[in-house]
Amino acid sequence: MTKNNLTGWRDVFSFTLKQTLKSKAYIISFMILLLISIASMPILSLITASSQEDADAISPIEKVYVVNKTSLPEMDFSEIMKDPAFQNITFETLTQDYNKVSDRIKTSENTSVILTFAEENGTFGLDFVKAGTGPVTDSSLQKLGSAIDEQFGLFRIKTLGITNDQVSMLNATVSTKVTLTDTSGNPVAKEDTSISNAEYWFIYGILFLIMMVNIFASTQIATSIVTEKSTRVVEYLLISVKSLALMVGKIIAMLTAVIIQIVTILIAVVISSKVTALFSSGQNQSLLSQYLPKNIFQNLNVVNILFCLILIITGMIFYATLAGLAGATVSKLEEINEGLMLFTFTNLIGVYIGLGAASVLMGSGINGYVIFAFLFPLSSPFILPGAILIGKATLLMALGAIALQLVSIFLLFKFVAKIYETLILHTGNTVKLKELILMFKITQGGKQR
Amino acid sequence: MSLCVKNLSKSYGEKLVLENLSFEITEPGVYALLGTNGAGKTTSLRMILGMLAKNSGEVLWNNSPLDAVRDNVGYLAEERGLYPKYSLIDQLLYFAKLRNVSKHTAMERIKYWAQRLAVEEYIFPPKMKNGRKAKDVRADQLSKGNQQKIQLMIALISDPQLIILDEPLSGLDPVNTDLFKTIINEEIGKEKYLIMSSHQMPTIEEFCSDITILDRGKAVLQGNLNTIKKSYGRVNLFIKSDMDISSQIATHNLFIAGKTPSEYHLKVQGEDQAMDFLAALIAEKIPVIKFELREPSLHEIFIEKVGNTNDEK
Repeated sequence: MTKNNLTGWRDVFSFTLKQTLKSKAYIISFMILLLISIASMPILSLITASSQEDADAISPIEKVYVVNKTSLPEMDFSEIMKDPAFQNITFETLTQDYNKVSDRIKTSENTSVILTFAEENGTFGLDFVKAGTGPVTDSSLQKLGSAIDEQFGLFRIKTLGITNDQVSMLNATVSTKVTLTDTSGNPVAKEDTSISNAEYWFIYGILFLIMMVNIFASTQIATSIVTEKSTRVVEYLLISVKSLALMVGKIIAMLTAVIIQIVTILIAVVISSKVTALFSSGQNQSLLSQYLPKNIFQNLNVVNILFCLILIITGMIFYATLAGLAGATVSKLEEINEGLMLFTFTNLIGVYIGLGAASVLMGSGINGYVIFAFLFPLSSPFILPGAILIGKATLLMALGAIALQLVSIFLLFKFVAKIYETLILHTGNTVKLKELILMFKITQGGKQR
Repeated sequence: MSLCVKNLSKSYGEKLVLENLSFEITEPGVYALLGTNGAGKTTSLRMILGMLAKNSGEVLWNNSPLDAVRDNVGYLAEERGLYPKYSLIDQLLYFAKLRNVSKHTAMERIKYWAQRLAVEEYIFPPKMKNGRKAKDVRADQLSKGNQQKIQLMIALISDPQLIILDEPLSGLDPVNTDLFKTIINEEIGKEKYLIMSSHQMPTIEEFCSDITILDRGKAVLQGNLNTIKKSYGRVNLFIKSDMDISSQIATHNLFIAGKTPSEYHLKVQGEDQAMDFLAALIAEKIPVIKFELREPSLHEIFIEKVGNTNDEK
């Protein structure tokens, strides 16, 4: 892999990038994604606002007729009525004929409901009767049902003569703590490195985004290489640039095109979030900051962002090179999926190791497996950026991962450089991994040139 | 200037596809590589260009190893290749840039060749009736012949000194064949060095001074075409008469290589035998309309060299 082998990559890069940016497929997909990202925040705001309004809304139910068919005494509903949503509800024991009241609810008294406490074979049930049409909706009834169910549970305990303090004690959280000791028996302090649910979903989201971008960019690269092979353009290119320069130029161009797309979309989401917050009443912070883990803002600095970007880019270069190699193993566009099998398999290994590490992080914090996932070149580009942003990975670890990533890229490039020249002019059946290795051994053994 | 190909060999695993190919071009002109399908012509050209790795041998251009990029080599591949969805002008400028041709020079050359090859309307689409710029033409909108013209433009855009043409005339209509031939002749006139592979023997005879006939990766005949032909001697006699001369042919023990309703193609051992036969016909007062004694054509030499070995195999 000499400088001479890479001469001309800039020309390949600029042409490929220009043509990709000009292509209809790129423009259309870009516009669609941009529209979705711009519209996502106002839509999310509308949905969350309506569900918030729904949660705060006063229940349309005005009267609840209570029928007690249990062995328990009448329940006290005063605690429920303290909730502002249920403050207008009157709870009344049903003394009239059940059927008459039921008919009345269905015809004229549609803001009332009948609640029957039933008991059968040691189980309790809350049965509601409401008008088929009218202001009382299923969700409003469900909300009231949940509140009554909760109070009914407490009520049953109290009827057994248990005091509030005793109830609190029964419901108290039990936490377990394991203290490690050294050989002298002194406790060894161990920091809790586990992550919260929100942090897990943040890591998951970042991982998923990187995976999508990676697959998209890599597939584009492989397709572009197969197109050049199947249209025989590659023969004309190879007398002007070396095959390695061709691949490097193409990879960097495709990655640039995808990164332009992703960065623009992320900027659009942030702007959309800020603008939506400005126009939404009662929200003084953007939607993104409401949903993102708080730690991310403590760790959002230039160094961390730089490390994340380097990790993502080196990871994408690794996978893109693999995809480039996969593209060169096939001769026809129809065979690209077959050719990409090795790439897809490797990509999935990286993703699953990353996902596993995120779950382990939530369950038990940093351990040997998580560190392996942070450093392993296949998984580090997926898991480590998220972990850095929530402060679960040190910069030393990031440096180590980047170093390992660079070593793997170098080794992969050495491998690709040896066989790409032969591979790019190959026509016929898809070249399998075994044949690639054989090809490498032959070239390495000096049987060729 | 000279191109020297020395002991070029290539094998894929155990299969030898080219064995010790050597030839030299010391003067401007066209060198021909001939052979049946799969004989190793395209492999040889790709190895000369450095596209394919070689097992052994070397290619020297002016006594130093040939580098297609550095030494500015033009190439027209056997199988045409253009980006189907990209505009023609973008592709031409891209290839020019890869060959280190400045944009200004490239545009001048593109204009020249577009006019010369009558593809201006595709490369520089005229404005529409409403004065708006017309859409760029893509390669997949062109006919095969026009695509071939664009490829020839790509091969010549860097004004190369060494030009390699792999089956340049295949698939062209007679008008465009003549156009391509004229351009090839012009390049020869500019003291360029050309290597051409072709199945069309008359074309090779028209342009080439030196040839190599390849058969299954081996050179079975090499040298100057005229010398080769002379070595065979004038053994082809084409004779035409109003009368039936079959009995005279039989009397003189002449071999009939071909026959049309009015003409015989006879094989003779030498000019003396032909002259004796003519004298006999005149003595018998048989009118002779045509009497042509000539060397074997390249086609015949090719069939003899390659056909026989193929038959044996």
